[in-house]
Amino acid sequence: MRDLKHLLYFENLLQEANNALVAQAKADGKVCIAYTCENVPEPLLNLDGTCSIRLSAPHTGSLDIATYYMTNLLCEPSRALLERAIEGGFSFADCVITPDGCTMINRAVENMELLETMGKNNPRFFHSYMEIAFKNTPNDVDLSVLQCTNHILKPLQENYGIDVSDAAIRKAVADHNRICELIRAIGEFRKEQKPRITGYEFHVLCLATYVCPKYLLIDKLEETLEELKTREPEDKEPRVRVLLVGSEVDDSGLVKLIEEQGAFVCCDRFCFGSYPGRVPIVLNDEEDALTQVCRHYIQNCQCPRMMNQEKVYGRKAYVAELAREYNADGVIYEQVKFCDPWAYERTLGSAMLQHDYGFPVLSVDRPYNIASSSGQMRTRVQAFVESMEIKKIQRGGNA
Amino acid sequence: MKTVEKVVNPVKRAGEQSPGKIYNENLKVRARREWRGVKDTFYDYTRWLYLIFVLARFIVVPRNIKGFFRYRWMMSYLFVPHGMDKFTIGLRDEALRIAHTSFNFVIADVTQAIANCFRGDRRVGNDKAYSGKCVITDENSMVTFMMGFDTDKVHTILREVPTMFASNIFHQFNVMHYLDIAQQYGIPGDVCPMPEAEAGISIEDDFCVLGCCAVQNNTTCDGSLMGNGIIAKRLEREYGIPTYQLATPLRHKEPDVLEYAAQEIKNAIEFVEKHTGEKWNWDTYFTAARRVNDATRCRIAQMEINSTPYPQFFGAAFSLYNDTNYMGNSGRNADFVTIDHKLLALAQKGYENKRMYAKEYRHRAIVWGVQPQYVIDMLYWMVQCWGVMPLTDMLSVINTDMIAEVDTPENREQAYRDMAMLNMEMIMRNHTHGGFKVLVDDLWELCEQMNADIVMMWEHMSCKALTGMHGQFEEQARARGIHIMWVSHDLCDPRVFTRQAIRDQVNSYMRTVMREEPLDPSLEIIPDNEAY
Amino acid sequence: MSKIAKIPLILLGAVLGFFVVTFTIYFFNLDMKATALLAPFLEKWYDRMEHNQYI
Repeated sequence: MRDLKHLLYFENLLQEANNALVAQAKADGKVCIAYTCENVPEPLLNLDGTCSIRLSAPHTGSLDIATYYMTNLLCEPSRALLERAIEGGFSFADCVITPDGCTMINRAVENMELLETMGKNNPRFFHSYMEIAFKNTPNDVDLSVLQCTNHILKPLQENYGIDVSDAAIRKAVADHNRICELIRAIGEFRKEQKPRITGYEFHVLCLATYVCPKYLLIDKLEETLEELKTREPEDKEPRVRVLLVGSEVDDSGLVKLIEEQGAFVCCDRFCFGSYPGRVPIVLNDEEDALTQVCRHYIQNCQCPRMMNQEKVYGRKAYVAELAREYNADGVIYEQVKFCDPWAYERTLGSAMLQHDYGFPVLSVDRPYNIASSSGQMRTRVQAFVESMEIKKIQRGGNA
Repeated sequence: MKTVEKVVNPVKRAGEQSPGKIYNENLKVRARREWRGVKDTFYDYTRWLYLIFVLARFIVVPRNIKGFFRYRWMMSYLFVPHGMDKFTIGLRDEALRIAHTSFNFVIADVTQAIANCFRGDRRVGNDKAYSGKCVITDENSMVTFMMGFDTDKVHTILREVPTMFASNIFHQFNVMHYLDIAQQYGIPGDVCPMPEAEAGISIEDDFCVLGCCAVQNNTTCDGSLMGNGIIAKRLEREYGIPTYQLATPLRHKEPDVLEYAAQEIKNAIEFVEKHTGEKWNWDTYFTAARRVNDATRCRIAQMEINSTPYPQFFGAAFSLYNDTNYMGNSGRNADFVTIDHKLLALAQKGYENKRMYAKEYRHRAIVWGVQPQYVIDMLYWMVQCWGVMPLTDMLSVINTDMIAEVDTPENREQAYRDMAMLNMEMIMRNHTHGGFKVLVDDLWELCEQMNADIVMMWEHMSCKALTGMHGQFEEQARARGIHIMWVSHDLCDPRVFTRQAIRDQVNSYMRTVMREEPLDPSLEIIPDNEAY
Repeated sequence: MSKIAKIPLILLGAVLGFFVVTFTIYFFNLDMKATALLAPFLEKWYDRMEHNQYI
């Protein structure tokens, strides 16, 4: 296939946290809100005058200083974020909003606060920590509304004078939905037998919508969508199609590595992926927007921390449903090393997807930066691809 | 660096002076018991007889024999007397009586818990009527939501306590089997081994199966929360036992989570009422609340004694007793009140008589972090071998607020908030979760309050909430002039750090940093790595 | 000596015998040493047991 016109542009945006669009947003006078968990309702971070930047640490190398503060037993993303913060890589942030989601990321941000890594010359800078829901009950929606009010909206209004009215939230939801619709429309091409977008390309586009100010991406995404409508796919179908599930994938190199082994990543269900992160939010006029946004996030949340059994089983059913919708031949459950929530979710998920839903599953742990240990992953994926091909042949399909 | 005044014991210890001699590397138990002088040896002997009686009374019941041969973890309970000996190393006088009074009671409580499990277990006793009134809860679960159910009508079964938690104290290797199974099924080896072992027990189908319903909790950590999913799957799907997940907010110091937590308690109570068919009784609740307050007052008094130069009740016996009383009991059992007061009277007597646990106290330590299950005698060892007095441990630094104990319409609403508060501030999680202040700042405050010059920091390598603040502890301790002695372990997997490897971390610190010689050199190296 | 007079002596002897035997077991840790000998056989018993193992 011909290269996408803007692929290099999007790839460049992922090379550092403080990228060109973040600088442009700062120049536009936006309040840059750094955040670390996809359970924080994004539209509330993208009100008029603000933009959300999800913290990431591309090209992570040495983690020495962060390892001193947090030991080598914490997950690499948490250490990578702290290391990058200490290096000054997140100096653009005007505030940090962190839910007490997974313990390790929470500790990383607490270390950032104690070490005063951000906001040195900004008297209005603040850190805000919030409780997030554990279940999908009305009580959890109430909790979420209260937490978002007290730990997102109030501090934004008090420190930066941001309009947090219902009308402002509705506008932010509309803007958010525009991005979601674009990403979903682009992602739809992955369903084709001969897909006209690779999993890698899609991941780059999707990840950019988290780590860049969204309003600055719309034109390029629209152009890319138009380009895809007429893009000629490869003649040959992919050898196998896989659904990638698990911890956050900040390194598109992982998706590239999987695809280099002959497996097309037809769908993504990981933290900060398109499912469920880029599902549009439907609002009605009867209820206030904040409550509806919170309910949307709770009902759609696929985080392993959600602990009631409806959610525990629902997550596996959701993966199976996506696998069927995107015609996946198999599922790859990945977990970034030392991530407790995904360690258990991967174990139970891979067992249930195999036994209850009949999908072949590859269950792997991985480093944050795949370049640091690509050989093992390559071997595992190769073996998985071959095993699925054999199954296809045995079923009489094309290898 | 901060220093404290050395306290020398004017009284020579009765009996033998070097208890290290009773270990033998060729045996998996001690070569003999300690000679403590006539009076204390006789007392220790009578307590041993009592334990043998408790165990014999348990095993003569046929269904308990059946259970014994069905469940691997039961083997640990053969070593209860061996386990008890770990709590009494070098102890004399009131200290010995405190250790026995508290831990013998805990053992009797655990034995009763096992008997209850076997009675209702579908594979063993299969008493359906009894099982129909049992509610299963986690090992790390406050049972506040059961405080208002009459104990003769609804039975609370902390199924994981005898299966995993207590069994590991008596037999250091017994959990390894379940860890191996969990890892064989794909759970990585870097998660906390406690919930991992519990998941392994469930995978192996080695939990007792009983109860009309179960209540799980997210009280400790991400690993514990996630392990519940695996356990609940088997409970619900294979055994048809409905499971409720009681969500407990993590940022427990924030007032805006309290109503949510209180509502969760209400929902859990409603769930239990629905499945047991029994009603919440406010008289029962407020009676339990009064006992909770009484236990709190006793614990505060014990901590005050420990702030003086003559601490009395500390170490594993203190923390495990508090664990059982605060968390597993929550005021439901009246017997704890008697024991609380007996322990306080013993401690007060010990304090008045200026009783000491060792030849001298050179340092006063706060023990922070989570203690390893398989070196449960570590703190007694530390004071005997090095004269480092552990004033208190993190698990014992729990709620000091009184809860509403008079039955009024307002207090009935307040009661839900009180239960929620106790639940949120459960042992361990009240410091490991809720922001860095409760973990780091609280420690320095405690050092000040109790006049400590050392922090003995248990670094449970899989406890991410704690290790995530490693550097902050280091830097802040240095700034405050407080020694910080890191002691790494893996909670209940002795393959990662052996017992001696754990003690050696203290030995090295005391020799190289503090430049001191041991008080009792016979204890510096103990050949008990292979012992149960 | 009458039979009745002997009873306290017999009782005293029994108590003394019980004490000597149990104290010897206690002091030399014979209870735990015997248990330690038994443990490997029990482990084999548990190892041989079939379990419905699954996740």
